Amino acid sequence: MQSNRLGWILLAPTLVILFFFGVVPFFYVLWLSFHQWNPFALDPAVVYNGADNFRALVFDNGFLASLGVTIAFVFFAVLTELIVGYLLAQAFMKEFPGKAVFRTIHTLPLIMAPIIVGSIWKLMTTPSIGIIPSLLASWFGFDLNIGTSAVAAFTVTVIMDVWHWTPLVTLTLIAALVSLPADPFEQAQIDGANKRQIFWHITLPMIAPALLATVFIRLMDALRTVDEVLMLTGGGPGSATRYLGVHIFKEVFPKTNYGYGSAVSIIVLYLTIVACWLLYVALIAPRNKKA
Amino acid sequence: MAGVNIDDVYKRYGSVQVMHGVSIDIEDGEFVVLVGPSGCGKSTLLRMLAGLEPISDGTIKIGEKVVNEVLPKDRDIAMVFQSYALYPHKTVAQNIGFPLKMAKRPKAEIDEKVGRAAEILDLTKYLDRYPKALSGGQRQRVAMGRAIVRDPKVFLFDEPLSNLDAKLRVSMRMEIKELHQRLKTTIVYVTHDQIEAMTMADKIVVMRDGRVEQIGAPLDLYDNPQNVFVAGFIGSPSMNFVKGRIDGANGTRQFVSEGGLVLPLPAQASVAVGQEVIYGIRPEHISIGEGGVAMDVVVIEPTGSETQVFARSGTDLIDAVVKDRIAARPGEKIGFHIDLSRVHLFDGKTQQRL
Ligand SMILES: Nc1ncnc2c1ncn2[C@@H]1O[C@H](COP(=O)(O)OP(=O)(O)OP(=O)(O)O)[C@@H](O)[C@H]1O
Ligand SMILES: [Mg+2]
Repeated sequence: MQSNRLGWILLAPTLVILFFFGVVPFFYVLWLSFHQWNPFALDPAVVYNGADNFRALVFDNGFLASLGVTIAFVFFAVLTELIVGYLLAQAFMKEFPGKAVFRTIHTLPLIMAPIIVGSIWKLMTTPSIGIIPSLLASWFGFDLNIGTSAVAAFTVTVIMDVWHWTPLVTLTLIAALVSLPADPFEQAQIDGANKRQIFWHITLPMIAPALLATVFIRLMDALRTVDEVLMLTGGGPGSATRYLGVHIFKEVFPKTNYGYGSAVSIIVLYLTIVACWLLYVALIAPRNKKA
Repeated sequence: MAGVNIDDVYKRYGSVQVMHGVSIDIEDGEFVVLVGPSGCGKSTLLRMLAGLEPISDGTIKIGEKVVNEVLPKDRDIAMVFQSYALYPHKTVAQNIGFPLKMAKRPKAEIDEKVGRAAEILDLTKYLDRYPKALSGGQRQRVAMGRAIVRDPKVFLFDEPLSNLDAKLRVSMRMEIKELHQRLKTTIVYVTHDQIEAMTMADKIVVMRDGRVEQIGAPLDLYDNPQNVFVAGFIGSPSMNFVKGRIDGANGTRQFVSEGGLVLPLPAQASVAVGQEVIYGIRPEHISIGEGGVAMDVVVIEPTGSETQVFARSGTDLIDAVVKDRIAARPGEKIGFHIDLSRVHLFDGKTQQRL
């Protein structure tokens, strides 16, 4: 009993902070999403307007376009991160000279703030001064202009995200691979499985839990990407890289349209939950049921 | 089907050498049992045959082909690991059917073979379970199943029955023998179980510390062990050994132990007076009766079908196994009659057979 109370006392500060910085804002946003509130409008009052914010979203081309590019961005970024991350993790399972150094360098992007990542990539890709367009132009005669080409801008944001977050995938997968028992792999070789079969029938199912956890984390993060993209392209050209986070930022702060912004936030949250749930149902649940 | 030829194979892990020039010839269709104390390199040898462990020196041939550089999947061998090595995310049926699936056999054939293997192994009830929901013995049978659905060149079994109860072990032993007679596939089989080794093997290989001590037919090893180690390892209960020297003081040669126990020698024994020897006699080759070597009874252990008698003379302890019930009590005198045709003499220093 004694130690139980002590536990609560020690936890109290964290709980209070969590409550005020996590629970309260969440319900505040949820509440706001059912209201119209523009503090700088002629009528700054908070007015209840039911599901109007959400209804408006369905016909809001800006939002729908943003949703489309976001889904494309998340799909390409997370898929590439998984593939590259897995290949790197496999490479790090082997011994090669300079492995420790390379592994350290490779995790460096992880410790950088997104805003800095955005700045670095902006410096590297700005037409006429960036190193990447310059090299592409002189080597391949390719004109990379993220200011005018929607495809270029989209691709560069995906590459930037991959650059920033692949190390996270690599690290999780290294941990998963290291903890795998060796004998199923030996047995599979005895059973005549080739490398491809071993990957699909043994490795993948055995790292699936870790893989899925990584996908969840990356999915959630990628769905709410803001600062890097805002820094790099500002959502442009046009709305080519106006991902939901950027959309909210651009919609809410300049226009101080808080009710609308809250509604979009709730949609993003909903999307994240649905995506994770779908993955869970498709990949994990059937196995648990059988077991 | 193929024979296996192991020629002067060495294995080093860094600076640790665990295999010191092992050579074994296994003929096509032979059932070879590897025995030896824990850590002598039996599993390592099997893993080298399977290609899971590179060999440091020497050659291994399966059939006519040197397989030193051949990948495990291309060696066409089936193996049951000491640790079972089941696929944790696959059901029993999927585990057993995995090698067939990898070989892209039609589904109907896989189902049929898995069903039959499950029947033999008494696993039919468990086909849909995952390995984590099985007992040790059941897991071991799944591992067996994965091997017997195949028709490989060579079977490698690493203590495949170690976790089964006595009854199941007897029936599995029969199944394996039957499998061998039916398929006539070469089998290399590791076991700690004397009875398994003696009853199943065409040929037993006794190993110690990464060396082959002796190779031979089971009864050949039992009758003519080449050294003290093999003599003590083969046979259960194991052979009695008494250290001493040959004494010829009163004209007839006798064996006198360090503790003063006098034992009779076979007439044709090629030993010289004064020579240091180790005298070996199996418990089952001693009978009990009037006269003979006088011993003091220490313990009597009746098992029903036979009786094991531990007796002492001075510091020397000898045990005998006899068919009759013995009425003697501890401390009483008893007479041991040694079957002279079954006495084994070994050199006191080299421990080799004389
Ligand atoms: N990776 C390794 N590095 C160093 N030594 C090893 C390694 N693997 C095995 N050994 C050594 O090789 C020797 C043989 O091991 P092995 O597993 O073949 O024994 P075993 O005869 O199968 O024993 P058991 O009957 O207990 O299964 C042991 O002394 C072991 O310590
Ligand atoms: Mg072993």
